[in-house]
Order: sequence, then C-alpha cells, then structure tokens
Amino acid sequence: MGQGGESRRVQAYDGELGAAVARAQEGDEAAFAVAYRIVQPGLLGYLRGLVGNDAEDVASDAWLEIARDLGRFKGDGAGFRGWTATIARHRALDHLRRQKVRPRATALETDMLDLPGTQSTYDQAMEALSTEQALELVSRLPRDQAEAVLLRVVVGLDGPAAARVLGKRPGAVRTAAHRGLKRLGRLIGAEGVTDESPRTLGESR
Amino acid sequence: MGGRPGDGGDNGDGGDFGASDVHPAHPDAAPQDVRTPRAPAPVAVDVLLAAAVRAHTVDDDGEARAVAAFRMAREQGAHTARTRRRDDWRPREQRSAGRSRSLRATLAVLLASLTLGGVAVAAIGVSYDGDGDRDGRTGSSGSASGRSAQPTPSPSEGRAGTDPGTHPSTGPSDRPSQAQDTEARCRAYEQLKGSGKALDSTVWQRLVDEAGGERKIEAFCAAQLAGSDARGKGQDGTGDSGGTDASSDPGESGDKGSAGDKGGAGDSAASERAATPQPEKSQGKK
Repeated sequence: MGQGGESRRVQAYDGELGAAVARAQEGDEAAFAVAYRIVQPGLLGYLRGLVGNDAEDVASDAWLEIARDLGRFKGDGAGFRGWTATIARHRALDHLRRQKVRPRATALETDMLDLPGTQSTYDQAMEALSTEQALELVSRLPRDQAEAVLLRVVVGLDGPAAARVLGKRPGAVRTAAHRGLKRLGRLIGAEGVTDESPRTLGESR
Repeated sequence: MGGRPGDGGDNGDGGDFGASDVHPAHPDAAPQDVRTPRAPAPVAVDVLLAAAVRAHTVDDDGEARAVAAFRMAREQGAHTARTRRRDDWRPREQRSAGRSRSLRATLAVLLASLTLGGVAVAAIGVSYDGDGDRDGRTGSSGSASGRSAQPTPSPSEGRAGTDPGTHPSTGPSDRPSQAQDTEARCRAYEQLKGSGKALDSTVWQRLVDEAGGERKIEAFCAAQLAGSDARGKGQDGTGDSGGTDASSDPGESGDKGSAGDKGGAGDSAASERAATPQPEKSQGKK
C-alpha cells in the first residue's frame, strides 16, 4: 500500500495543508514553510510541463506573489492548491509571452536530462519514466489535454478546481484529462520510452 | 476500477487516480511479477506520470525566499488585504451559500420595507381612535409615511388645532370608533386609488366588507367622507350607510371591530416600535 498513488497521497495532505495555511494566515511563518513544502513538488511539476527548465524561476516568482497575497486567500487545503496553481499559471503564461519576444538560446540544459530520477521503491519496481521522458510525452499532447492532465495528476486538483484554474467548463476539462491520459497510455505502451528531448508546452509545433 | 489491471489510463474521472491499480490486486499476480516485462502495463498512467513529474526534492533556497517574502508581506500589513473573487476557493456550496445569504438579506429588507409600508397605512386607521397620546402616534405614522398622514387631517385634529385649549381626547372619544376606522380606511383608499399602490390587504378587506362589495367602495367612501364634516360638528350624525351598517348588526360588527382593534393595536405597536429606536439610541449616546 505504501507504493504509488502520488496524487492520492497529494490529496491526503490536504488536511495538513489547510491547517498550515490557516496558521500562516495568522502570521505563522513556520506554517507557511510547511505549506510550501507540501505544495511546491506538484506546482513545480506543473510548471515544468508549462515552461520546461525555467520552472524553478517561474515558481519562485509565483511564490513571491503567493506570500504577498496569502491574506486574501479563502479556502481549505485543496483550495490552496488551486489558488497557487492559478497564480503559477499566470506567471508561466507571462513568462512564455516574454519568451516569444526574446527567444531563448537553448531549449534544454543537459542537467535536466541527467536528473538522477526517482529512487523510491515504487520507481525501482516499476521501471518508472524519468522526469524528462514523462515531460516529453506530455508535450506531445494538445495543450488543453496536457494542462488538464498535469493539473489533475501532478498538482492533484479535482475536476472543478482544474477547470477553474484553466478558466474552462468542468466537463471540457474532464474530457481533456481523460483523453490526455488515454493518449499517454498509448504512447507509453506503443513506443515505450524515447530519448527525444523534451519540449515545453509553450512552443508551437 | 480497482480490479482492472488492463486499462489504467481509463480512470481520469475519479478522485482517486486508480492508485489501486498499482497493486498486484489480481489474485494470481504475485508481487515479484512486477519485474516481468509485462508488468508496467497494469500501472496507471497517472500514477506513473505523477511519480515522474512531481518534484522529489524541495529546494531549500526557494523555501527560504518564499518565507522571506511572507515575512516581509506580514510586516508590511499586506496580509490584511481584501479577498477578491479569484482568491475565494472555498467549496462551491459555501460560496453560493454566502451569495444566497446576501440575496436572502436583500429580500428580507425588501419585505420589511413593504410590511412597514403596510403597517403605516394600517396605522392611519387606528391613529384616530387613540385618546391620550394622539400626538405621538400620528407623529410616528407620519414619520413612517409622511405623505399619507399629513394631507388628511381628521376633523378632530383640525378642531384641536383651532382651539388648543380644549382637551384633545373629548371630541374623538365621543364618537364610535367603528365610524372613525371606516373613515380612515376611506381616506387611505382615496389616497392610494390613483397612485397604483395597493391598500393593505386587511384594510382593503374590511373596506370591501363595509361597503358591501368592491364596486361600491367608491360611492361608499364618498358618502363617508362627505358626511365626516357634519359628523365632526354634530356628534350623532352617524346616520350614513356605514354607521347604520355598523350599528344595525351589532354581533357581527362587534366581532369584526374587536378583531380589527386587535390587529390595529398590534400594527400601531409595531409602527411605534419601528419608530422609537432612534430616540432611544440618541438618548443612550448622551
């Protein structure tokens, strides 16, 4: 039972996250750090899908805004995931707009490819995808499907929350996530893992 | 979906992303089977993806930067900022409950204002049968509906105005209150007739009863109001249709009268309650 179910584990943290956010809103900075540690892995994963290697920088920007506007937020742990994902997404879209004006030099750094990957027992058992392989597969999806899948699976949002982040109807997002996952399943099943370099969602292909 | 090892990618809808598929839930799938070549197939795509894409380490520097920004915002008082619509991520029921609560409050205020309006009209009917504190009462109903109380001075008021030396309660208390009520209802009816507003339903119903039908109200009230001056002078001049109606059927009109009085007393009490808090407040402040 201890293996797998990342997103389920994500959602299991929502109670703890909600409590931490509530304390942070009362001024407890240690609680804010707890919230950061709970939210950041999924947020960073989502941003990797959106902006690739710039995810860390964009996440950093997003957290500045989150820290500043924390007092405005209302909701529980799951709501905090959705709120932070919305902020991160806006930062990512800003970033991509800036990039269109000023194209970046290289698409990818090598350290991304050489990430040691995940060393959990689950991954060892499952011949897991590496981060960049997974991102490459996601980048083959249409934009709406890729974002829906990332928000639901990686950030751990439920359907309505993902729809709110994307500004779309829940039904459309549910369909997109469903199709995206199905297509990913086919990609993984058909081709296995490729060595192609990952692309970010922002690039038009 | 727990027992389907074949299609892990099909379960994007549920809240749990098929994490149970990870397990060798199949009875004949022994744990060591997971290393066989066909083992990756049972793994849900979402689980695989989450494991791969989610960051596995949290950058300490990033955390320190975020906490520093948090501290600065806290010290600058930014955390007391107003919640915008996009910051409200409470569950849908709570958000809509908040919205419908405000809608309910609006409706309550609207209803209260309508009710008070009705009370004010009804209070016209009872403000003439008071004896001791007539001034206070007409004042209160006048404040609630200044338009209706002012231009209809009752004959007794007019008299009290012309010779203030006489005791104000002697005139009106001599007359039967039933006739006064009828007169007041007629005045209210005349006033509201052209304005498109409806008379308070109790008042209207009693007027219909007294006149003997909706169509007869016009004539009935004309007669009532025409005779009111004469009755104001000569105290026994209640020989109108309304007067005889009231006196010829003592049992029924008595019942009606008492019921009406009860209602009237309640109404006037309500209007007084509505009108009094302000002076009390101002006294309290002093």
